Formats: sequence, C-alpha cells, structure tokens
Amino acid sequence: MSEVNQKRRDFLAFSGKAGVATLVAQAAGINLGIVDVVKAEAGGKVDPFRFAIISDAHLYSMDDHKFDQQLIDAVNKVNNMNPMPDFVLFGGDVAQNGTEDQLVKGQKILSELKMPMKIIPGEHDWYLDMGEAWRGLFGDETWSFDHKGVHFIGLNSILVEDFWTPAGLSPKERMTVMEMLESPIPGPWGVHEKQLEWLAKDVKDLAPSTPIVIFTHSPLWDYYPRWNFQTSDAPEIREILSKFDNVMSYHGHVHQTLYNRIGNMSSVAAMSTSWPWPYPPVELAYPETRMNRADPSIATDGQGVQLIDLSESFEGLVQYKPFEDSLTPFMQDGFKV
Amino acid sequence: MKTRIAIRRALGLGGIAAATVVASTVFARPPFTEEELAAQMDSLYEVIQVGYDLWHGSEPKMTSNGLACANCHPDTAASNPQTFPKYMTMYGKVVPWQEMVNWCIENPQLGERFDPQSDEMTAMKAYAMYLHRGLPIEPGLASEQTAAVPVAFGTGFKREPTGLGVDTREYVPERR
Ligand SMILES: [Fe+2]
Ligand SMILES: [Fe+2]
Repeated sequence: MSEVNQKRRDFLAFSGKAGVATLVAQAAGINLGIVDVVKAEAGGKVDPFRFAIISDAHLYSMDDHKFDQQLIDAVNKVNNMNPMPDFVLFGGDVAQNGTEDQLVKGQKILSELKMPMKIIPGEHDWYLDMGEAWRGLFGDETWSFDHKGVHFIGLNSILVEDFWTPAGLSPKERMTVMEMLESPIPGPWGVHEKQLEWLAKDVKDLAPSTPIVIFTHSPLWDYYPRWNFQTSDAPEIREILSKFDNVMSYHGHVHQTLYNRIGNMSSVAAMSTSWPWPYPPVELAYPETRMNRADPSIATDGQGVQLIDLSESFEGLVQYKPFEDSLTPFMQDGFKV
Repeated sequence: MKTRIAIRRALGLGGIAAATVVASTVFARPPFTEEELAAQMDSLYEVIQVGYDLWHGSEPKMTSNGLACANCHPDTAASNPQTFPKYMTMYGKVVPWQEMVNWCIENPQLGERFDPQSDEMTAMKAYAMYLHRGLPIEPGLASEQTAAVPVAFGTGFKREPTGLGVDTREYVPERR
C-alpha cells in the first residue's frame, strides 16, 4: 500500500471512530486532523482572532485587465467580513511578468484593505529584477511577528539555482523562463541556506508549545514538483519546526483548495484571484478537500479568498470564500486544522 | 491465408470474423522500417513543438489580454482532448476539441480564432493528444478534473534540450 493510501486509511479509520457525536460537536467545521484531540488538551495560549489570505493576483500591465477587478473583488470580500480579520496575508504572485507597473498596481489595490497586510513573493514577482521592485514596495521578504500568542513566519520559497548567468540570459528572458509553470529549465525552488539559518535562529528560543504559522508561496511538502508544487528544502524547514506541538503552514501558488498533514504540520493552500489550476496527476491523502472543476464560461469560478479563525487552543477553522459556487458540500462550512 | 485476408480487408471484403483475426498482425503493405517509423515520429514531434509554442503564447493574435492556453492548462492538463467531441454549455451543442480551443481563444484570451482545419490547430491538438496518450477515450463526458500523463522532465516530448538549468536530458519515448 502506498504511503498516501495508508494515510487515507488512517484518516478514514479516525473519522469512523470519531462518530456522529464528534461531528455534531464540531458543528462549525469538519475535522480533518488526527492530532486535534491531543492539541485540544494543550489549550489556552491564543487570544482568539481571525486572519484572511489573498493570493496569486497575476496582474498584467494592460489598463482595466479583468484580473485587476478580480483582485479588487477579493479586497472588498475581505473588507466586508464580519467580524473583520485582524490582518491579511498575501501569498505571492501579485504580478504576472514581474514589472514594476504590475507590482505598483497590485500595491495600490491592496492598499484599500482596511487591515494591515503581510506579504511574501511568488516567482512571477521576482525574476525580472531579482526582487528589487518588490522589496522597494513591500519590504523584506523574510519576516516573523507575534500576534495574540501566535508566532507568524514568512519565507521566500521561490529561489532557484542561477541558470541565467552562465547562459547570458537577459532579465526578460530569465523572467519568461520562470513565468511558465511547467518550465523545463529552472528546476525545484527552495528557501535556501540563508533563510534556513534565519529560521533556526528565529525559533531557537521559542517554547515547543508556541503556536506557529508559517507562510510561503509554494507548499512545504512534495505535491507535484514538476509544477513546483513543492519547496525543495521543506524537509529541513519541517525539521527545524519539529519541536513545536503544532505548526500550521499556509501557501499560495497552486491556485486551488488543498489540505495535507505531515507530522506536526498541517498545510493549507489558497485559491487564487486570477485563474484556477487543475489538480495534477497525483493521488492526494485528503482528496475530499478538492474544489469542483471550474466552469471556464464563468470567469471567476474556482477563485476566491480564505478566512482562518484561530481558537484559544490554536485550532484553526479554515473557510474558503470563493467568488462563485466552487466548493463541494464537504468543504462548504470549512474544516478544522 | 493471412495475406489473402489482408487483401480482402483492404478491398473492404472482410467479414467481422476475418477483421478480428488480422487485427494487429498483418499489414496491407510491408511494415515500415525502423527508420521510416522514426522519421514519421520526428515529423510528429516537430508539429507537437509548434503546438507547444502556440500553447505557451507564441502567436500574438491568440490573445489581447496576455493570457495563453498554458495559463490554465499546464502540460495541457484539464484540456481533456480524450473526451471530445462533447456537449459544451457555451455552445449548447456537441463540439470538437478544436472548437473548445477556439472558445478559449475568443473568450478568456480575447483573441482571434483559428480555422479548425488550420496547421496551427492541428499542431495544438497534436501536443494535447501526445500528452494524453494512453488515457482512456471517453467521448461526451463532461469529465472531472482530468490531467495529462505525468511529465517527468523537459517538455514531455522529443526535442533538443536547451542545456539551460536542469533542461539537459534527452527525451526517450517509451515504446508501445
Ligand atoms: Fe500563481
Ligand atoms: Fe506561483
């Protein structure tokens, strides 16, 4: 039996044992985690709050491009949440071609958010000028902060080995290579050595009971490396964070709903505001977290924003808030991580 | 005996039983040589390369908002060529795959459609079909999120590697 199958069997076995009473007790959402039972006992560390995630706007340079409005819709959706989220995380790929005008347009739209925003870069933001414009607009791409008892970490996960200098590629050519999801050239991304060292230092003095949220563009597990639905040094990241009771990872880049759990880490993907990506040809441990196949005749189908409520015991209720009716019944009321 | 059946079949004289007997063993002309087969495949790969380029935005007429087929369909995933012809709600009738591509060109991409018989459309179909080789044909199904065959490296078909980054491996197609 494959590892995925085994995990799925464990999951199903757990669901069976939990039974109807548990599901009723968790009326707000569907419990996907096995660890939550243990987690609930740790308790009492978080001053409950909510945050939102917007991701993958992929803005083009043309005026009044449809993706501009879709990002505006996302901002409005978050602004109208009640109660309002304390802050917003943006999951990368503000721009499509990494040009300054696209990044500036994105920043302008995102500045309409009524709450603070933290952001990490995507590959589409970065490879025209190696992050120069992005840093000028949004600041440092590696960060951490504490909020109401939770330690939030942001890393730049889209770094690749230099393929352009030996070949003498222009910045535009480098960017074109990186814009293709299935590009044969760059190979796997990662956060690389310096950020790993930074991360180890950042969490060194934190107690294992500290609630941790880590935020990256790409997933911190091997989903589909072909499309960089992975982070090459994710095993090292997970190792550094292995001392913690519970780690939540949120990420962009995959433009779809998705959940996974590895060890002490749950992983949740963000929908995009631009276009949905198909699920790649791999088996998922939790296939029930997939969204419906988007209808191409509905321009905003399969896209949206996400809202996460964190409880006192650092349990997360993840709710996808799509623009259209994109969720399966299983996903409609959210799920717990 | 086999030759006679093959001739009868070539002339349209074979019954069902005869057709079953000769299904995969007898050719109506001598088999192609290895060289001929390789040359035919190379012609196909050249056309696939054109389709791959078009899919990734080589023809400006296909878009006025910057979007290419590959924005939503990396490795031609979820383009579902194995399910066409099928009923598409945007047409209210059964259409071939080429028409669906034209719909995407004209709507999400705000570009100019191709003649369904054009070399360009044939090239894109060749690319999509090659990346869906071996998958079951399921005409008419508004299937769920189907994916192309997994692509291990490169473009997924035979062509000269660029030598840039990790793109250095020669593609060897598996034999059927
Ligand atoms: Fe993206
Ligand atoms: Fe991305």
